[in-house]
Amino acid sequence: MSKNYYEFTYIINPVLEEDMFKETVDKVNKLIEDNGGEIDEVDEWGLRQFAYDIDKKGSGYYVNMYFTAPAEAIASVERQLRIDDNVLRFLTLKYDAKMLRHRELQKKNEVPDIFAFENEDEETEEDDD
Amino acid sequence: MIKNPSHPKKNQRKVKQCKFTRAGLEYIDYKDVDTLQRFTNDQGKILPRRVTGTSAKHQRQLTTAIKRARFLSLMPYVAENLR
Repeated sequence: MSKNYYEFTYIINPVLEEDMFKETVDKVNKLIEDNGGEIDEVDEWGLRQFAYDIDKKGSGYYVNMYFTAPAEAIASVERQLRIDDNVLRFLTLKYDAKMLRHRELQKKNEVPDIFAFENEDEETEEDDD
Repeated sequence: MIKNPSHPKKNQRKVKQCKFTRAGLEYIDYKDVDTLQRFTNDQGKILPRRVTGTSAKHQRQLTTAIKRARFLSLMPYVAENLR
């Protein structure tokens, strides 16, 4: 059984009591662990305004997490969350080698800034490899 | 390319270069909304390569990243025009 590294983001219904957010997060974590997953990091972004309405709601509680799990676990986790009315939307990404390297940089806070060269653009000739 | 060496615009020509290639970025993250927003116009449309100078490889990644951000409502599919 091969294990993969996943990134998982989901949005919780904002029309809930404060402690319901925590309860939902715990539920999702437990769901993943029950299916043989190992949680690496959970990052709660908190309430955030939507760019467009989802189910007639203007904002949502975002949770972003990383975990390792066997491939079969994903289907059953997703099935459970599709039933759950408190979770408005979710996105699962399987990490490949490139994304893993990017994640390492992120952990070390060394993600290159793509606009760093913006100002020295004019005269200098840079040789890239 | 301007072939004539005495062409008045010769030194004004700006060579476009892919920002992602130059920074050595391997993966474009959908969570990085501020960056992604700079590659869309005010309607929320993805800007073409000929405007931004992004390399083909990174333009493909960028498109995927923007579409993921849209799905999670981090970015709009269509932004209303404020008039």
